[in-house]
Amino acid sequence: MNGWRPTAALGRALVLGSLGLALALVAGEPGLVVLAAPFVVLAAVALVHRPGTTPTVAAALDHRSLPEGQGTTSRLTLTRVEDVEYVARSAARPPHLALRPSHGQVGRLLGADGPPVVEIGAQRWGIRMAGEEKVALYAPWAGFRCGPLHLPADPLRVLPTTAPYDSRAEAPQPLGLVGANRSQRPGAGTELADIRPFQAGDRLRRINWRVSLRTGDLHVVSTRAEEDTGVLLVVDALADQGVSEGVTGAASSMDLTVRAASAIAEHHVRRGDRVALRVVGRGAEQVGYGAGARHLRRLRDRLATLRVGELPEAETLTLGVTGGAVVIVLSPMLAPSVGTIVATLVRRGVSVLVVDTLPPGAAPAVAEGADPKVAALAWRMRLIERSVVLDRLGSLGCPVVPWHGPGTLDDVLRRLARRARMPRVVSR
Amino acid sequence: MTPDSTPRSQLVLRALVFLGPVVALVATGPAGHGPPWWLVVLVAVLAGAAAVAPDSPVGVGAGLVVLAWWTLSLRDGIPVSVAVAAVALTVGHLAALLASYGPRAMPLDAPTLRLWARRGALVLLTVPGAWLLARVVRGEPEQPGVWVVALAAACLAILGATAAMDVPEPKEPR
Repeated sequence: MNGWRPTAALGRALVLGSLGLALALVAGEPGLVVLAAPFVVLAAVALVHRPGTTPTVAAALDHRSLPEGQGTTSRLTLTRVEDVEYVARSAARPPHLALRPSHGQVGRLLGADGPPVVEIGAQRWGIRMAGEEKVALYAPWAGFRCGPLHLPADPLRVLPTTAPYDSRAEAPQPLGLVGANRSQRPGAGTELADIRPFQAGDRLRRINWRVSLRTGDLHVVSTRAEEDTGVLLVVDALADQGVSEGVTGAASSMDLTVRAASAIAEHHVRRGDRVALRVVGRGAEQVGYGAGARHLRRLRDRLATLRVGELPEAETLTLGVTGGAVVIVLSPMLAPSVGTIVATLVRRGVSVLVVDTLPPGAAPAVAEGADPKVAALAWRMRLIERSVVLDRLGSLGCPVVPWHGPGTLDDVLRRLARRARMPRVVSR
Repeated sequence: MTPDSTPRSQLVLRALVFLGPVVALVATGPAGHGPPWWLVVLVAVLAGAAAVAPDSPVGVGAGLVVLAWWTLSLRDGIPVSVAVAAVALTVGHLAALLASYGPRAMPLDAPTLRLWARRGALVLLTVPGAWLLARVVRGEPEQPGVWVVALAAACLAILGATAAMDVPEPKEPR
C-alpha cells in the first residue's frame, strides 16, 4: 500500500459530522448541530488538505561497519514531501542492537530538522540486520496517511571490540625479517648478546673500547637480531557457551574468544608481526599470514562474520602452521577435537598456548523437553572431561591460561621463549 | 522505558479517548435525561476498545450512541451541557487521532501536541457559536423549502467528500 489513504480519524469525523447534521434535520433539533459542528470542521479542513503528490521514502545507515559499542544513525530520505506534515517511524528490534529514541518508535512533525532519525547502537559483534522499519506519512490535519511503508533491513557489520590487551613478552621463536622480537641469532639489533673479539667484517662503531683497552685486543659488541614472528590464531567456533548480553553485559564463550582474538591480533600487527587466523567451526573461515592495518581490518572482518557450529563432515582442518610461528588457541576447550589439535601441535614442537575462554558460571541452554537435572549432570560430566583434557595438555607442556585482558599471555610467552632456547626432541 | 512499555503521552491520550464519549453521554444527566446504566456500559466498552485500538472504526460506534442519546435528550431545550458533550467528544476524537499516529510504544513529541492543542482550540470555537445559533434557531417557524435546501446541501457535501477522499494517483514522469 503505497498511496495516500483516508485515516480512521477522517472517517470518524465525516460519519459523526454528517450523521449529526442529518439527525439535526430529521429530528428538527438544532442542538445536535452543536455536537456535529467540530467534526464537520475537522472533516472539511482535512479534505481541503488532501494530498496531490505521492512521496517516496528511503532509509540509509550512516555506516555499514562499526565496532561493538558504537552506534550509527538511520536516516530517512523523503522526496515530494509538499503534502507531508508528520512522519512516524517504527523500527524492528533486531537482537543485539539498541535503538534510540523510544526503542525505534519515533514520530515528528516534518519541519526544518527533517524527518526523525533513529540511532542504532551495536551491542555485539557479527552481521546485524539493521534498519528494518515501517514508515507512515501523514497529510496536514491527519486526514490522509501514506503507508505504513515497509523498508527492508540493511546488513550492518559489527566488528569485535578490542578488549584491553597489551603484552611485553617476546615471541618464543621469531623467524622472520624485520620486527620487534628478540631473535636467537646475532644481527643488527639493540639487545646485547655478547662482547666478542673483533672479526673481519665487523663494523667499527661496534668496537667496545673499554674492553679492548683492558684486554689489549679489539672487542666488539654483538647484538641479537630483531625479527617479526608469525602468530596463528586458532578460534574455536564449534559452540557458543553462556549468555551474551552485549558489549556491556555478560559475555559468552564466543564473545570472549572473538574479542580476545581481535585484541591479540591488533597487538601483534602493531608490533609488526605476521598474524593468521583459522576458525574451527561451521564456516571454517581463514585468513593467511599478513601484517599491517589493512590485514588487521581483514582479520576483524572475518572474526565478525564467523559462523558458529560444527565442522562440515567433509571438511578437513588444515591449520597451516609455519616454522617459528606461535599458535594461540582460543577455546572453551569443551570439544575433544580442539584438545586433539593442540596435543598434536605440541608433540610436533610447535609453540602452542591455549587461552581458555569458557566464562565463569557458564551453563548450557537446556533443550525444550529435556530434564534439567539430566542436563545439569551432563554438563558437570563435560566439565570434568574438560579439566582432564586441560591437565593432560599441561602435562604435555602446553600452557592454558584464562583470558583476563592485559598481560594474559606475558608469563606463558616468556616461558615458551625460554623453553624454545633449550634443546628438545620432537615427533614429526 | 522498556521496549514494550507504553509512554506517558500515549497513556494520557488513550485515557482521553476512553473518557470523551463517556463524559459526553453522562453530560445528558444535568439536562434531566441521564442515561441508563447499560447504555453507559455499552459506550464505555466501545470507548475502551477505541482506546486500545484508536486506529479502528470502533470509535465511531461510541460517538453514534452518544449522538442518538442526545437526540432523545434534547426535547426540552438546548442546555449548556450539550456544549460540554461536544467538547468531550471532540477531545476524545483528537486524542484518538494523535494516538493513532504510530504504534502504542511511540511517544508523542511536544511540538505535535502543542500544534494539535492549538488546532483543537480553534475547532472548539465552533461549539459556543453553534450553541448560540441553535438557541436562536430553536422555536423559529420552519421556513418553506428548508428541507429541499438541506437535502441538496447534504448531497453536495457527500459528493464533495467522495471526490475529495479519492486521491488521484500521480502520473509517472516520462
